Amino acid sequence: MLLEVRDLRASINGVEILKGIDLTVRAGEAHAVMGPNGSGKSTLAYVLAGHPNYEVTGGRVTFDGRDLLAMSTEERARASVFLSFQHPIEIPGVRMDHFLRAGYNELRKAHGEAELDPLKFDRLLRTKVKVVEMNTNMTKRSVNEGFSGGEKKRNEILQMAVMEPKLAILDEVDSGLDVDALRTVSSGINSLRTPDNAIIVVTHYQRLLNYIVPDHVHVLADGRIAASGGKELALKVEAEGYDWLAEANAPSR
Amino acid sequence: MTSTSQATHHGTAYRAAHAARLAAAEHQPQWMLELREQAMARFEAVGFPTARRGNEPWKYTDASPIAEATFGTPPTAGPEPLTVALKPFALPCARVHEIVFIDGRYTPQMSSVPGDTEPLPAGTFERHASGLVVGRLAEAIHRELPQVRAHLSKHAGMDANAFTALNTAFIEDGAFVWIPDDAVVTEPIYLLFIGTGKGDAYVTHPRVLVVAGKHSKASVIVSHEHLGDGGYFSNAVTEAVLGPGAHLGLWRLQRESARAFHVATTQATLGRDSTLTSASAELGGKLARHDFNVTLAEQGASCRVNGVYVTDGTRHVDTHTFIDHAVPRTTSNEVFKGILSGDSRGVFVGNVLVRPDAQRSEAHQLNKNLLLSSGAHVDTQPRLEIFADDVQCTHGAAVGSLDDAALFYLKSRGIGEGLARVLLTHGFMREVIESITDEAVRQHLDTAVEATLPHD
Repeated sequence: MLLEVRDLRASINGVEILKGIDLTVRAGEAHAVMGPNGSGKSTLAYVLAGHPNYEVTGGRVTFDGRDLLAMSTEERARASVFLSFQHPIEIPGVRMDHFLRAGYNELRKAHGEAELDPLKFDRLLRTKVKVVEMNTNMTKRSVNEGFSGGEKKRNEILQMAVMEPKLAILDEVDSGLDVDALRTVSSGINSLRTPDNAIIVVTHYQRLLNYIVPDHVHVLADGRIAASGGKELALKVEAEGYDWLAEANAPSR
Repeated sequence: MTSTSQATHHGTAYRAAHAARLAAAEHQPQWMLELREQAMARFEAVGFPTARRGNEPWKYTDASPIAEATFGTPPTAGPEPLTVALKPFALPCARVHEIVFIDGRYTPQMSSVPGDTEPLPAGTFERHASGLVVGRLAEAIHRELPQVRAHLSKHAGMDANAFTALNTAFIEDGAFVWIPDDAVVTEPIYLLFIGTGKGDAYVTHPRVLVVAGKHSKASVIVSHEHLGDGGYFSNAVTEAVLGPGAHLGLWRLQRESARAFHVATTQATLGRDSTLTSASAELGGKLARHDFNVTLAEQGASCRVNGVYVTDGTRHVDTHTFIDHAVPRTTSNEVFKGILSGDSRGVFVGNVLVRPDAQRSEAHQLNKNLLLSSGAHVDTQPRLEIFADDVQCTHGAAVGSLDDAALFYLKSRGIGEGLARVLLTHGFMREVIESITDEAVRQHLDTAVEATLPHD
């Protein structure tokens, strides 16, 4: 078992957003988490990554045999959890390659490996940029500064390629992408999948799931998983929207 | 009034030191003696700006610790000039014109010319193949070089600035740089003033005059460094004059001892179509004040005036800039960034004057401050006076702390709190460092600033 989420509850500013989530992810699997706006999809992603604004009020999360909720944000990253941001942050003045090398070396240190010097890391980066068809010159620029929406998303997947996480949580990786960029980003993600790692794709639309085919689909509504199923569940959402959820979950009168 | 009697008392002390210096100094031309006397009288009349009322330029900075102390001559003023290890201050490039002053005193044996391993003979000038002259200001005065007579003290005004008057009264050593018409100097010109910090109560008056001829091109860095942890007072003035079409890079590094007082004025006067590119790094001093004044005196003149200041502990660092758009078609760009921690205090006041005549001018100013602790404080004030109507002017000022979203982003990539803060803080001032067009100077200032940033 790679990730086991049990009755996870979390709130922000005193408002409960996650109201008891259960989720089991095994190595090699791809999970899709869908749901209408405000259902708690992004909150789930943030809480798993350790965002400080969210307060976990109940439940437990075990990752790779460890208590994930007891770990700081950076410890989770070093333990091989990766979050691809819906809105990647612009950091003026900090070069992409410096930032990536700093993170990469923290991971290596955590695993008792020697740090890579700039030259060796540069060589590694040259191979990784190919995953998302990115120009190496981009990595000399400030992190995400002045990047287009598509470039920012490619950049997230480049970081995933460098970090090689066991669990990647991809929050709305498809938002703001045109069809070509969507194809590039998803084939990049697919190329990084192995029997030893897993991905959780958080998305509003089924469109992405044509490119990244999930083994399991979960539909979130009001902070709970309202329905789980195979990839056909995503097609139902595509055809019928989310309205049927309210009816399915309405208390029987 | 108490303040008046104090000013008079210390005025007398400086007067006595002034008389002693004059008696000991080598032969000086009459005009120089007159200038010194005039400056001394001016200082006595104005006094240190210690008044707490009606004293706008010193509103945020209390000069009384300087006014109330008595500063003597440097302890290293003996007959044999001191030599020190210069390695910590070396510019990262092979070829440099380097003139070194120890506690304000010219040390020829430590000064060097590119491609020449022998030290400069005492009392001579470096005359480079390009025609460049770099040397001791006292020597240039002694020889009555016309460039000195024409420009010394003609730009940095004494009327309203007691510190400049005091510096002028005590001009003795200092650096003179003359870049002749059409000369292109590729190596940096490094004017290095080192405070030994041996003993506390001494004052030095570093003075620099840079005369850039028409269509000349050069890069000059003025550095104020220290060795020991003394509480000395460094009172510096730099004047730079740019002839028509000249390109001058003028860089400044202030890394005085954390117990030192440092007051400096840099005054640049720009001729037709000339370009000044500058950046300053204010990294040291217990109490430091820098006035950077640029006069865009002729059409087509443009300047970039950038800087960073980094403060910690209980240090106080004040930067005032004054950009005078005196004529039409002049351009100024200004970016200053402050990083403040501990219980330190920063001040940035950016004055821009666009005179009625200065149509089709452009002035842009930005000041951003990063507060790294709750005890740090900054006062920032853009002061734009625009009397012409056909102009483009923008200004902005911001004070904030490290961006939580950016911190989370870095941490989500495995980067710990400490390193994340260092990366973001470094990134914050990167824009200023990147604007330095001289590669060696850029590296040097980058290293200096990075070493000063708070590390956990």
